[in-house]
Amino acid sequence: MSEIIIQVENISKLYGLGAIGTGSLRREMMHWWRNTVLKKEDPYFQSTENEKNYLWALKNINFEIREGEAWGIIGQNGAGKSTLLKILSRIVKPTEGIVRGRGRVSSLLEVGTGFHNELTGRENIFISGNILGMNKREISEKFDEIVDFSGIELFLDTPVKRYSSGMYVRLAFAVAAHMQPDILIVDEVLAVGDAEFQKKCLGKMNDASSKLGRTVIFVSHNMQAINNLCTKSIWLKKGMINEIGDTRSVVGKYMGGEQKKIWKQEFHTLEEAPGTDYIKVLSVELIPHLTDQMNPIDIRTPLTVRFKFYNAGKNVNLSVDLLLFTLAGDCVFDIPSKSSTCNEGMIEAECMIPGNFLNDGAYYFSLYFVEGHSKELFYFEECLQFEVADFRENVYWYDKWWGQVRPNFPLKLKKTIPKTGS
Amino acid sequence: MPDKQNWWEWEINGGTSWLGVNLKELFNYKDLLFRLVRKDFLSSYQQTLLGPFWVVFQPILTVITYVFVFHEVIGISTDGVPALLYYLTGITLWNLFADIFSNTSYAYTQSITIFEKVYFPRLIAPLSILALSFLKFGIQFLLLIIIAGYFYLFRHIEFNFIRLLISLPVIIIISGTGFGAGLIFSIITIKYKDLFNLLQLFIRLFMFICPIFYSVGMVPPKVRLLVNFNPLSIPFEMFRFAFFGKGSFNSLQIFYCTGFMIILLLAGIVVFNKWSDKLIDLA
Repeated sequence: MSEIIIQVENISKLYGLGAIGTGSLRREMMHWWRNTVLKKEDPYFQSTENEKNYLWALKNINFEIREGEAWGIIGQNGAGKSTLLKILSRIVKPTEGIVRGRGRVSSLLEVGTGFHNELTGRENIFISGNILGMNKREISEKFDEIVDFSGIELFLDTPVKRYSSGMYVRLAFAVAAHMQPDILIVDEVLAVGDAEFQKKCLGKMNDASSKLGRTVIFVSHNMQAINNLCTKSIWLKKGMINEIGDTRSVVGKYMGGEQKKIWKQEFHTLEEAPGTDYIKVLSVELIPHLTDQMNPIDIRTPLTVRFKFYNAGKNVNLSVDLLLFTLAGDCVFDIPSKSSTCNEGMIEAECMIPGNFLNDGAYYFSLYFVEGHSKELFYFEECLQFEVADFRENVYWYDKWWGQVRPNFPLKLKKTIPKTGS
Repeated sequence: MPDKQNWWEWEINGGTSWLGVNLKELFNYKDLLFRLVRKDFLSSYQQTLLGPFWVVFQPILTVITYVFVFHEVIGISTDGVPALLYYLTGITLWNLFADIFSNTSYAYTQSITIFEKVYFPRLIAPLSILALSFLKFGIQFLLLIIIAGYFYLFRHIEFNFIRLLISLPVIIIISGTGFGAGLIFSIITIKYKDLFNLLQLFIRLFMFICPIFYSVGMVPPKVRLLVNFNPLSIPFEMFRFAFFGKGSFNSLQIFYCTGFMIILLLAGIVVFNKWSDKLIDLA
């Protein structure tokens, strides 16, 4: 087993909220005049002595990272992810605790730190490289590679202010991608840039950890990227470690815990049940066929939709449509039942959606009850809501997968023998 | 795991030390230092008419104004030294101080966006400003030497070359004082942004109590104390002495201004180091 390269011991960070002092000497002197000389209350001054004005951005964080591991840090906004990265990058000091480590650390919290708009791409490669901790020799050695990676050869001697935003970001990342630290700390810088660029960045990071054996610490909201890049993960919640360990299980729990979902609605009496004079829906339920109940629904999971309703009409030619929508409101499918003549009474229905059919994303089901060809009896909108998590194996493509469905139809390539001669 | 004591190469904790200057670490970042100097030098002359010639133009224009106002109009004596040369020595040295002091004061505020995103020894930022000021001073000093050379060759003004070496410690005293004061200001101005206005005013007014276009000897005894109290008066006198052999100062005064410089410089470095870590949370 490889050696421990970073040891985080009991890290806490306290932030004062509101302004510290008043921000201007004039105001501070006025405050002093009113408070100390005139002994009056100063309405402009915010007291920082008050306990309420403090916030623990991080509290008692402990973990150890071994050489060559890739760690993901996940959590909602404001959970303390960026603060933790800033402490690990030595930008801010922890209020309590200690971090010990070995080797060179480079942090990439922003693309293009230190870039100067008036200067040329060539100059900026050196500026940015030096700021990120490379020395002149290292940059000179990597210069051609950097230029190549960024694809801006033609504009190397143009001031970067004339670059398109895409070129700017590409150049900035190219420099960062060629750092050779022992520990690489990356914030969600990949949110910028187009899909192709993001793919390139993630590929580069993947190389850093899996091929070159560097230690990578990575913050992202992109669970696909975390799943694919990181072996271990930390889930931060309100400044504390909520879950730590194997990425699949941490991400699984995070997705399961934070998703907005309605998997079941049940009503015990007809009065409570939603519906119309014709139809009352007593229960509707989504049953995922999971191998491990702790895991979230992912694209492989088969789903069963089961619902029960009361039909009040006599001798109606009834049919039900099960509609699936993406959360954005696009209809994925509309499955009608066969129409049949029904009398007053309970009716149960079930539909199974196989695994490897839906793409990852958030969806909702609606039920549409029709008499005959077109007479609407009841439209039960958004009765079930759920999310499908992504799952990929051996695919080096981390972007959102296109399409509303992702069926696993085999696509076969046939090798033909090239014709020789005529 | 190997020996635990020696295993860890670095440590991050909450403490901020007063004397946390790590010379080895600073040295490791020397490439960055030179890069920042280059960046500032290049970027300040992008899209300008005269480019780096401003470094030379600025003192020339100032000296012409001074010659006109103080020599021709008001008629202040220049101790028999040609007015042009007399004023140029003062202006060159004053520019060094004003440049270092005012630019260092902006060191933290200017670099805060970088400080927030990446770590390097924070002292690198003001040091790069200091180095850039030296570069500009070097060019202006060369101008001074060339003009002095002209007077030496064609106007028969005598220079003592050994005596000229006195200018070296003078430059150190002036830079150290400016840098120390600038470092302290760069920290105070983060908390009190309105001090930047005061700073410019202060530099402009302070110039008048430095013997730039007059000598200490001309100052009436009533206000002599004020000029003597100013730790920059003596360096200006010494600088002129180095060139023309004229100036009044004694060893106690030299001791005073040197001691003042050392204390201010140390205080500046210590304050900057101590607070640059803390202030990142407030800025």
